[in-house]
Amino acid sequence: MKRILHGILVAVFAVAFTLSLGAFRAAAQDTVRVATADTLGAEDLVLLIAFEKAKARGLKIEVTPFKSDDVVFQAIVNGQMDIGVGDAYKMIQTLKAPIRHFYQLRRLAYFPVVNKEYYKTWKDLDGEDIAVHSRGSGTEALARLMESMHGIKFKRMTYVPGSEVRAISMRRGNIKATYLDLTRTRLLTTEDPERFGVLPAGNQSASDEILYATTDFLKESEDAIDIIVEEVMRAARRMNADPTSMAAERERLDLLAELPKEINEEITLYHQQAAMAGLFPPNGGGKGAASADFEFLTSSGRLEGDAKSLDVGEFWELGPLNKALAKMGYVNVEYSISAR
Amino acid sequence: MKTRKTDKTVGTSQIGSGTKTDRSFASVVLGPVWLWQLLSLCTVFGIWEIAGRIPISLAFPSFTATCAAFFEMIMDGSFATAYASTLPPLIIGILIVSFGGVAWGVFMGLSRGFEWTCMSLLVILQTAPVAAIVPLITYAYGIDMTSKVIVVVIMSAPLVILNSYKGIRSTNPSLLQMCRSFQGNRWQEITKIILPQASGMIFAGLRLGISGGFIGIVLAELLITPTGIGDLITYNRASALYAHMFAAIASIIIFSTLTLTVLQRLEHKIFRPELGTMSGQVN
Repeated sequence: MKRILHGILVAVFAVAFTLSLGAFRAAAQDTVRVATADTLGAEDLVLLIAFEKAKARGLKIEVTPFKSDDVVFQAIVNGQMDIGVGDAYKMIQTLKAPIRHFYQLRRLAYFPVVNKEYYKTWKDLDGEDIAVHSRGSGTEALARLMESMHGIKFKRMTYVPGSEVRAISMRRGNIKATYLDLTRTRLLTTEDPERFGVLPAGNQSASDEILYATTDFLKESEDAIDIIVEEVMRAARRMNADPTSMAAERERLDLLAELPKEINEEITLYHQQAAMAGLFPPNGGGKGAASADFEFLTSSGRLEGDAKSLDVGEFWELGPLNKALAKMGYVNVEYSISAR
Repeated sequence: MKTRKTDKTVGTSQIGSGTKTDRSFASVVLGPVWLWQLLSLCTVFGIWEIAGRIPISLAFPSFTATCAAFFEMIMDGSFATAYASTLPPLIIGILIVSFGGVAWGVFMGLSRGFEWTCMSLLVILQTAPVAAIVPLITYAYGIDMTSKVIVVVIMSAPLVILNSYKGIRSTNPSLLQMCRSFQGNRWQEITKIILPQASGMIFAGLRLGISGGFIGIVLAELLITPTGIGDLITYNRASALYAHMFAAIASIIIFSTLTLTVLQRLEHKIFRPELGTMSGQVN
């Protein structure tokens, strides 16, 4: 009797395990798994709103924040995630990875913030230290561009990962010049405008975040990609037309519920500045974004070769974007990037 | 007392001769130890090479590609520059722990009151996940060398202190009684009996502390500011130069292994000469 009961128990567990494994696989195949390189915050609202709209059109989407861009890339290339948010130019060039970008979500917007007690112009920074995110990062590339643009040479580039850490170090006086994101730039320059200021940074339109996926996923999940591209484009255009709508949408859709209600004012302010600076391009980047990225990445040494000789097709899959543009039309806009 | 001493001597000599016989039997049947060690390394590197050539992942380089990157980084001076930046906070942290930590542990072993005050804190420090504490250190001490030294100290101090403390506490009570019966004072008790008895364990604690220090400096360089070897790992990972990233990781593993092996052999030579070099390889 005991033996029979034991047998039944083992059989039940085996069936339950097999069924749950099958259900898990099926669910994983149905769901589009999106990987971001940082915890989700106010600057991700455009993407999150777009995903909610895509869900309403029948897609299942699951967003997982990771620690850094390279972990996101690992997850995509190993098939554990489907869509990455970041950029994979270097990986595509170095590893010949079968990965393509398909939508420019956000342009690079880092601002050269200085302690005005020490520096007032770029010339003052000649022979001085500057803190950037890390070696090979976008902020280092921006600093290198400024060196050549203003004919100066920094004494040393110190690497301090994270805008929030650099902002704290600026407050503490550990660093006197750095690149910060839009939120932290505004935070420092508004809380102590006598001490902190932004140097003129000129115009650049390289990418900060692009959506990318493996070529297999882009082929196999064409419909899902089309829906996502359309909805992200729609959300970006809506944000550009009415930046104040983001806070209301966040409340309506119950997004980023863990953030306090008082952050709505911050959200509106961020998106108003983002709209003015054109951080969220309404046409999804495409060929223009790729060319700007090639120019920026080769001049800063992050990509090898001549920008003009790089083939867009090796880095981008333009099909989904062109389809969305054909359906939704092209929007002409002129922006100027500024922290204020 | 006399009989017990004789038994002990006999026991030790029997164990010693048994080990010698076993070793010579093993070397006759199985061949030299180094051959087996070489075989184990070749197996691991062979599997690594095959896995890299399949490849199991685009980001997984082969063993030969990693070796090539390793030599390239030696020749272009990457390692020299990186270690010039990694070693100062490591050495400072280890020096602090070597003097301060040992003194702390000895004092804990000698004073009940000090032991009760410190023990719970040390146990918490030993069990706490340091990776979670590192950001707090950054907030308090900023991003410069001080923070890195603190991480090294936090990682290695509990090991050194607790080993020193246990070494002091495990002093043979009969030796202490002997010292007292010879009218030895407290100072003589400490310097002639307790410290010489505990020195083996204190040294073992130092070795473990240095191992903790290596973990600490890599954590600090990965989590605080990417400098030195942490910068090599971060930069090559972000640039998709995975063979170089693996080479950087391999370099710190080789460096810490060599340092600890030298220390282990030194420990055996000074405190446990009866074990010889063989035990140094298997311990």
